[in-house]
Amino acid sequence: MRLSSSKLLHALGLTCVIVFSLFPFYWMIAASFKTQNDILASPPVWLFAPTLDNYRQVFSDSKVFGAVGNSLLIASATTALAVLLGAPAAYALARFEFRGKADLWFWFISNRMMSPIVLALPVYLLALQTGLLDTHLVLILVYLTFNLPIVVWICTDQFKSIPPDLEQAARLDGADQFTIFRKIYLPLGAPGIAVSAIFSFIFSWNELLYALVLTRRNVQTAPVVATSFMSGYELPWGKIMATGTVIVLPVTIFALIVSRHMVRGLTMGATK
Amino acid sequence: MTFLQLNDIRKNFGEVSVIKGVSFSAERGEFVVFVGPSGCGKSTLLRMIAGLEDVSGGAMSIDGKDVTYEEPAKREVSMVFQSYALYPHMSVFENMAFGLRMAKLPEAEIKSRVLEAARILQIEPLLERKPRALSGGQRQRVAIGRSIVRNPKIFLFDEPLSNLDADLRTQMRVEIAKLHRNLGATMVYVTHDQVEAMTLADRIVVLRGGLVEQIGTPTELYDRPANTFVGGFIGSPKMNFISATVEQADGARLVLNHAAFVGGHLQLPFAGAAALKPGDKVTVGLRPEHLSLDAENPVLSLSLDISENLGGATQLYTTGAGEAVTLLVAGRPPLKPGDKLRVGINADHIYLFDAQGLALRA
Repeated sequence: MRLSSSKLLHALGLTCVIVFSLFPFYWMIAASFKTQNDILASPPVWLFAPTLDNYRQVFSDSKVFGAVGNSLLIASATTALAVLLGAPAAYALARFEFRGKADLWFWFISNRMMSPIVLALPVYLLALQTGLLDTHLVLILVYLTFNLPIVVWICTDQFKSIPPDLEQAARLDGADQFTIFRKIYLPLGAPGIAVSAIFSFIFSWNELLYALVLTRRNVQTAPVVATSFMSGYELPWGKIMATGTVIVLPVTIFALIVSRHMVRGLTMGATK
Repeated sequence: MTFLQLNDIRKNFGEVSVIKGVSFSAERGEFVVFVGPSGCGKSTLLRMIAGLEDVSGGAMSIDGKDVTYEEPAKREVSMVFQSYALYPHMSVFENMAFGLRMAKLPEAEIKSRVLEAARILQIEPLLERKPRALSGGQRQRVAIGRSIVRNPKIFLFDEPLSNLDADLRTQMRVEIAKLHRNLGATMVYVTHDQVEAMTLADRIVVLRGGLVEQIGTPTELYDRPANTFVGGFIGSPKMNFISATVEQADGARLVLNHAAFVGGHLQLPFAGAAALKPGDKVTVGLRPEHLSLDAENPVLSLSLDISENLGGATQLYTTGAGEAVTLLVAGRPPLKPGDKLRVGINADHIYLFDAQGLALRA
């Protein structure tokens, strides 16, 4: 009996967590199908006649598509670069001893300790002077500095969990350092790489502060456009929520695709 | 001609000296076993032969070529790891083919070599499986298969059987012996298990604390241990040691004193007696399997503490004047704890060591 009651408690706890994290999504999606009156109704209406008006407005607004395109380009490029540069760095940190290793490691982590807004003004001035303002490149570079530490951090841990014997077996088999990285560490580190890629993508996709500060008209990202609807005296909640729903879709799809690499026990069978 | 030559090989990890100058050589086709207690440096030594550990001093050559600072892959050695170290994301076939692919062999050649190795090790039905779908014994075979396909100059084994259960261990031990006979390959094998060492080796290198204690055939080590350490390490159950005092040493005869001896004395013929003088301390080594209960001239008077029935044989734990003595006797003698035993031994089977533990030779 004790077992089943503890299981019940466990299930209850899980349900709470799931409701807590999914309710905002439900609210956003539900609101995107409501009229402005239904949205502002108090007490809230749970049953309503759904409307597609909000989506019609969003899809007729060319800004939204352009912004989603910008966001896709920037988030993909950032994620690709972060993994491309971060994974080899993580391999080095996980497996080699070299001078300054501890300092380098701390430097990577310390990049995450700084509150982003502290750097907003200096980065803006830098972008202004280098003529990078309102380009894709400036956001890719800025996001890269924030994402690289996450990739390095997660992947280093992941690579450390790969038995060193595998690397030595591969060395004896005649594999060079790069081949070992490519054929042993990348496939076996896939879960960590996938997680860090998702983090990196979501971060770049959601980022609002730097996107607001560093872009004007050309390179507005999706969150910037969504918030730009909040102007004047009117808050078109339905349109904002519909835009939000459209924005969340790509990142959800990306996470679902990548998450199939997030399997545990990939190194099972390697040893013992 | 010497095939594998180690010359005063040393290894330091920082301040700590792990291998303190090891020299030995192996002939082509020889099966050499490094044996010793944990921490004796045997695995480190093996990994140095493989090139996985840097050498801090000394020189090493394989087939006449100096390989002291050579890359692991260029030494043409292969290694079976204690952990097997199979690539978990590759099939059995790909695990075995990996080294050949690295060597850029043609696909047909890779296939035929892998299939041949799989046939020898009887793992043909497993070729498409991933390591996680294999049992411990099967993984072991794949690990061995991976080293066979490369046709190396030397096979290195790092405690390959220690993860297997007792039955499988015996079975794989026999298979490794067969493999050695069939391939005629040079093998260096590390173990802490003296039974594996005795049964597999052409020659055994006994290591302790980073130094060689003795090198010899299994029989030499058993019959003529260089010191008390080797005497105690080789043979199971362990050799019994009794610290005695020389009472009389003249010509070819020695009389030793210890309260466990019948009458307090042990008299034995010993050609090297001239090197000893009355009052010297010596250690008498007696193997449990050499002691007998029904001797005409018993030498030890012991009292039984406990007996273990092994089925066909019985192991007796006894004490004689404070010294623990183990006996291994055939059958099941009807004895009970507290019984007084008078135990004999053939004088040829008595080992003598000096105060420093070094063997006294006739």
